[in-house]
Amino acid sequence: MLYDLSRADVRVKWLVTCLLLTFGLAYGFGGWMVAMYAGFTPKSVAATYAPSEMSMPMPPESTVVVEHPMTMSQFAEAAPHQVDTALLVQDTHVHVPMYGLIAACLSVVVLGLRITRRAGLGIVSLLFAAPWLDFLGMWLTKLLAPGFAWLTLLGGWAMAAGLLIVTVMALWQMWLMKERTAT
Amino acid sequence: MKTIVCAAVGAALLHITPTVVLVDRPDAVAQLLPGADKFFAREVHLSDADAHKLHEAVDWSPSDGVVTFYSGRHGTTLVGLLQFVRVDTPHGPVEVTVSFDPAGTVHGVIVTKATVETKPWVLEALRAGLVQHYQGLAATGTPDGSSALRGSVGELPLYMAQEIDKGVARALAAYRLFYQTR
Repeated sequence: MLYDLSRADVRVKWLVTCLLLTFGLAYGFGGWMVAMYAGFTPKSVAATYAPSEMSMPMPPESTVVVEHPMTMSQFAEAAPHQVDTALLVQDTHVHVPMYGLIAACLSVVVLGLRITRRAGLGIVSLLFAAPWLDFLGMWLTKLLAPGFAWLTLLGGWAMAAGLLIVTVMALWQMWLMKERTAT
Repeated sequence: MKTIVCAAVGAALLHITPTVVLVDRPDAVAQLLPGADKFFAREVHLSDADAHKLHEAVDWSPSDGVVTFYSGRHGTTLVGLLQFVRVDTPHGPVEVTVSFDPAGTVHGVIVTKATVETKPWVLEALRAGLVQHYQGLAATGTPDGSSALRGSVGELPLYMAQEIDKGVARALAAYRLFYQTR
């Protein structure tokens, strides 16, 4: 333990609490957004990142025309939100550094927790591995096969678990753990 | 606790650029194919050669290899047809709906989808009268509505107008290559 959050100045404890709550708020709205645009199942995530790979048959030898009647209500059927390669390049460029900063902030909190060195290493690894898995899943889904969507979901759950673990442990040690236990 | 965890999963996909529906597709269809009471979808599954031809014409081919034309009829009379064309920009996709009258000229253009980021730019370009510049354009024409906006809108609305030009150009090329000739 490089420093002890449980014995830190109350201003530091308050700063860490506000930081964790802010991240929690942002993650909550992130969940809402995901529910609106991508969903929480491998199938819906794959439809977001690999729509063409999922639906594209081999091109025909010669162009084929198929005509069928439609109703007005069929125009209203929502097409899945799709992220193409160019947009994923931009998303990766913009978001990976931000995820790195979030993981770094949470890791600094982890350094102040009363946990074993091994547990600390594990949590820090989890915090950084989660966004890697997230984006690895997206890229593999786009480039290789829709089945890799589960990696993105795994990355998402890992990020959730990381934030939850750090938040619960930090709040417990800073505000609820008795001093005699802490010492 | 479960709710918190589920919500936190969202962080994994915060990078989605949210799409905003500017005009619902059925509303756009009603505006662009007025009076039509029967609709048909003509799906053109492109061969490699035709996909290449389209790519050479407008530097684009549909990601699923299919160009779809939606026609509207009133009784047996053709009212017109339209296409929904997606243009991917660095700020997310824009969907441009382009309709043609039975004579084969552009009847109207509606931007049906944008993103949270691009919506204000698209709206500014539309308020400046962008889509009026496409009306009556022949399938062989070159859409250049953005040039007419130069000086009257900011840089980003102008950029979006150029992307919308691109969408109209794709619709014109697809119409010219795969509807008029078949």
